Amino acid sequence: MTVSRPWSLGRVGMWIILLACALISVFPFYWIMNGTTLNPNDVLRGLLVPGRDFMSNWKQATTTYNLPLFFSNSLLIALVTVFFGVIVNSLAAFGFEKYRSRARDRVFGILLLTLILPQIAIVVPMFKLFSFMKLLNTRAAIALPSIMSVFIIFFLRQNFKLFPTEIMEAARVDGASELAIFIRIVSPSMRASFASAAIYIFLAQWNSYLWPLITILNDAIKTLPIAMASIMYAYTIQYGALMVIVCVSTLPVLILFLTMQKQFVAGLLGSVK
Amino acid sequence: MTKPLPSPPGSPGQGTEAFLQGQTHQERTVAARGAYERYLNRFGWFCVAPSVLFFSVFMAYPIISSLYYVTRRWKGTVNTFIGLGNFVRMARDNVFQAALGHNFIFMVIQVPIMVFLALLLAVLLNQGIRRFRGALRLAIFLPSVTSLVVVSVLFRVLLQTNGFLNNVMLSAHLIPAPIGWLSDAFWAKVTIILAITWRWTGYNMVFFLVGLQSLDPQIFEAAEVDGASKVRQFFTITVPLLVPIILFSAVTSTSGTMQLIEEPNILTFQGGPSNATMTAALYIYRQAFFVNFDFGYATSMSYIVVLISGILAFIQLRLLGGERRAS
Repeated sequence: MTVSRPWSLGRVGMWIILLACALISVFPFYWIMNGTTLNPNDVLRGLLVPGRDFMSNWKQATTTYNLPLFFSNSLLIALVTVFFGVIVNSLAAFGFEKYRSRARDRVFGILLLTLILPQIAIVVPMFKLFSFMKLLNTRAAIALPSIMSVFIIFFLRQNFKLFPTEIMEAARVDGASELAIFIRIVSPSMRASFASAAIYIFLAQWNSYLWPLITILNDAIKTLPIAMASIMYAYTIQYGALMVIVCVSTLPVLILFLTMQKQFVAGLLGSVK
Repeated sequence: MTKPLPSPPGSPGQGTEAFLQGQTHQERTVAARGAYERYLNRFGWFCVAPSVLFFSVFMAYPIISSLYYVTRRWKGTVNTFIGLGNFVRMARDNVFQAALGHNFIFMVIQVPIMVFLALLLAVLLNQGIRRFRGALRLAIFLPSVTSLVVVSVLFRVLLQTNGFLNNVMLSAHLIPAPIGWLSDAFWAKVTIILAITWRWTGYNMVFFLVGLQSLDPQIFEAAEVDGASKVRQFFTITVPLLVPIILFSAVTSTSGTMQLIEEPNILTFQGGPSNATMTAALYIYRQAFFVNFDFGYATSMSYIVVLISGILAFIQLRLLGGERRAS
């Protein structure tokens, strides 16, 4: 029967829980950034004050570990996936929602069935398929399977539902073609949803691990996660340089999140609406 | 890209005009409606076609062709038909069974802890405090921006035997000797649970925050008037009302733990120490692409994983879904 008074025991406990969780959540970010300035031994020991080795770590990351190549691979693949992913999925969501027919509803039902399918379940046939298409070990192999996403189609369809069909009717009376309606009338008002979808696709591709791990066989097309994983497998690890790579691979996502928090979270929440 | 689409009636397209020549007014409108409907239908297919194509090639085809792999056994590059032999082999494969057991341990221990913690944090942020709410929410969500590979790398470095966490705990005299976070079979499992909880709690918290905001504050005011304590309110009002979201969170987290692969592969290094953190997904990956290259056996094991994930989701939906209907 405690009525919350200022600084009752419950309130103190609550603040302790919240602050501790916030601290635990944020600390590793500080630790990574600080780690970029330390020599390998101090990274391991976990020194909390900045050191002076940032330049040598950076140099090691960019030369020994080929960071610029991995970064540009990751960025290129993610951006290409986002570009085609937004077009393909938004068009499909639009078609499924605004041009409903029994046949298309059934197709959508089949798509939804695979929503919970774990990726591990199809990697073997996928690997065989790509080896048959002679596409293994190419950037296309990493991008192609992640362009279409049932989740994104589902998410965008929910949002297209909110777009009034009357406006489309009005545009039709004015003689607009259906494609023009999609591009000029519906799309501009869906910008926020498209941004959420784009962020979601970007993150999924930027962070993806299992499929690239299977398809990538040489250094030239390695993405950042695969590069980091193979550094961890090496006999000797340059921890300072590793921290630089970890930092570089987290920073774009962090910036994306901090600048577009609303769309970022909307992308996550799409499925519970 | 595709054939040009016919224009709708009323627009200056010649196709429909020519088509409608020489008919009565009645016939013309009926025919026009039919043609227009067909045009809309065709446009509908045009919209979904690229996705359906991608889906067929990269989802439907792999699923269907997996039926072939399940019945085969690879030895080197040759493969032979063995019927259900892969499933017989699974029944005797101790490592696979142990891997499934580890998935189960991670799930049973980690998912409830995380869901409870996420819910608690959401309630505290939503109802407990007014100041610094945004900043704290941001901070707790922040781990969700990291990739699972980064999480694994991070914890692997932090939890070395001579690493940061052991050093801190040693100097605070919390532990007498360094803990083998990565080298001890028990502590390695704890490490994985810690890493997953760090990464996903804030993520799940956001779902609960959205759910809490949709609740009517008058319910809590009424409870307050009736003298219900905060703890009581949490268990008798908040939790029951948020069951759909708890369910969503539990189902997605469960299917997530069934797919664990980055953490055991990088954080505890190939499911180590000596397979103590081997998970089903990692074992499948290793059987197919790392040790034996037995694609048939790997595919068969993935069938079991899909089956188990499906059953677990079904049970959770029945358990919690039924409860919701009852209350």
